[in-house]
Amino acid sequence: MAQDAAGTVGARVSPQVDSLIRAAQAGDQDAFEQLVRTYDQSVLRLAINLLRSTEDARDVYQEAFLKVYRNLHAFRFDCSFHTWLYRIVTNICLDQLRKRKVRKEESPTIETQDGPIDRMDTFQEEAAHADPERSLWNRQLKQRIETALEDLTPRERMVFELRHYQGLRLRNIGELLGTTEEAAKNCLFRATQKMRAVLGDFT
Amino acid sequence: MNCDSILRLIPLYYYGELTPDEEERVEEHTHGCPACTREMAQQRALAAALDKRQVVAAPMLLEDCRSDLMAAIQGGAPHVDPSAKRAWRLFLDAMAASLSGAPLSGMLSGIARLRQPLGALALLAIGFFAARLINTAAPSATGALLSSVTSPTDDVYSTVRSVQPDNSGGVAISLDETRRKVVKGRMDNANIQRLLLAAAHEDNPAVRVESVDLLRSQSGSTEVRDALLNVLSADSNAGVRLKALEGLKPLAGDSEVRKTLRRVLLADDNVAVRMLVIDLLVANRDDNMVGMMQGLVQQENNNSVRLKLEKALRDMNASPGRF
Repeated sequence: MAQDAAGTVGARVSPQVDSLIRAAQAGDQDAFEQLVRTYDQSVLRLAINLLRSTEDARDVYQEAFLKVYRNLHAFRFDCSFHTWLYRIVTNICLDQLRKRKVRKEESPTIETQDGPIDRMDTFQEEAAHADPERSLWNRQLKQRIETALEDLTPRERMVFELRHYQGLRLRNIGELLGTTEEAAKNCLFRATQKMRAVLGDFT
Repeated sequence: MNCDSILRLIPLYYYGELTPDEEERVEEHTHGCPACTREMAQQRALAAALDKRQVVAAPMLLEDCRSDLMAAIQGGAPHVDPSAKRAWRLFLDAMAASLSGAPLSGMLSGIARLRQPLGALALLAIGFFAARLINTAAPSATGALLSSVTSPTDDVYSTVRSVQPDNSGGVAISLDETRRKVVKGRMDNANIQRLLLAAAHEDNPAVRVESVDLLRSQSGSTEVRDALLNVLSADSNAGVRLKALEGLKPLAGDSEVRKTLRRVLLADDNVAVRMLVIDLLVANRDDNMVGMMQGLVQQENNNSVRLKLEKALRDMNASPGRF
């Protein structure tokens, strides 16, 4: 299961991260860049997984870290930096997901010069299979998973993403979404049930 | 515990989110219950299937994001350049060291004292730039709305432009200095608006978006309208152009605005911008636009924009084709 890049899921910041933050707060640009590099891979992965669009993920990355840059002086170490950063990132992603729910604009295919291609195929897969039958099965499964995920509310989607892919504890997820651990548990349960209903015989 | 309550706990069991007591109860129950054992197996299968969906960002994408971010920060957002600071410190140290043996050393030794005349020069420079951007001859009533804050502890960024030795053994060192300054005031203040108009041309797109967004509320002024039109025609960032369009909404009937909107509809490469332009043009229909839109329907590559154009033409009782 995924851990965040800094390896500090829900914990207090490590002394190294702590000193990077203090240096960045004092105006040290190199320290800020290092701080970004400590967390940005998991931020980008979260955005891509949630939004399934490189353009949107780029926008989230830029908006989130610019916000961090502008507001870092206000970070007072009263929660972990990871929580603080993820509050910013999840808020931006939730806004995007909500807008999408309203517009229902995200099509599963992208128009290219060579005709339409599956949006998911534009990403590098973690595991590629050479077996054509297995590829077909995987492809159908992926499509079904996309349908299942679309049925989730933005909040259910977020809780599921953070727990399953980012490996965060439900207590921390509740904290950064401004809700309780119990509510996060209910969200995770509902998300799992909905996906089970859609995926059915595939699992 | 019955099956119903166990079913609720299975996803949490899988993710290790139960207390040891609850875990034990789930294990005890599933051990003797084939239905719940199947549920547990399905939970694992679902998780395994979802693991396959995990995508990783291409390394190039991450590098692109990093360089975009650093460019945005360096392009306009205030920051301290550590190399400049180091150079400044080295320069002061060198000056202090070179003067320490001289007869004037008592007067000039110590960095703090050396900073003073240079600081005064910097303030003079600020005075000059502020005079260009802020109307200092404004009456005192304006002064209450507009306050500028320059803390004496603000960082001074300096670069050495040139070093010129002279014949008498001396040297003339020319410095460029920048000081951060905070100007506060109300949106309806003309000087604040002038600063925002200048900020709408900053290199940093984040600063441009924010400035244009704030200017939207003042689109009644001709100067602001022209700035918004200029941003809409020329800004390289679609987000900034969209903000400008939002600001131009109340002026969609203005002939100058419509001229620019028509040009943008023909030339802009961003779908969202073109869609919004159509909305604005249609909100105040005029006969000139029917022919242009009919021509555009034939050329438009994007389905959504084409459909929108066709609908707009139908709404105006015009044919989508040109005869």
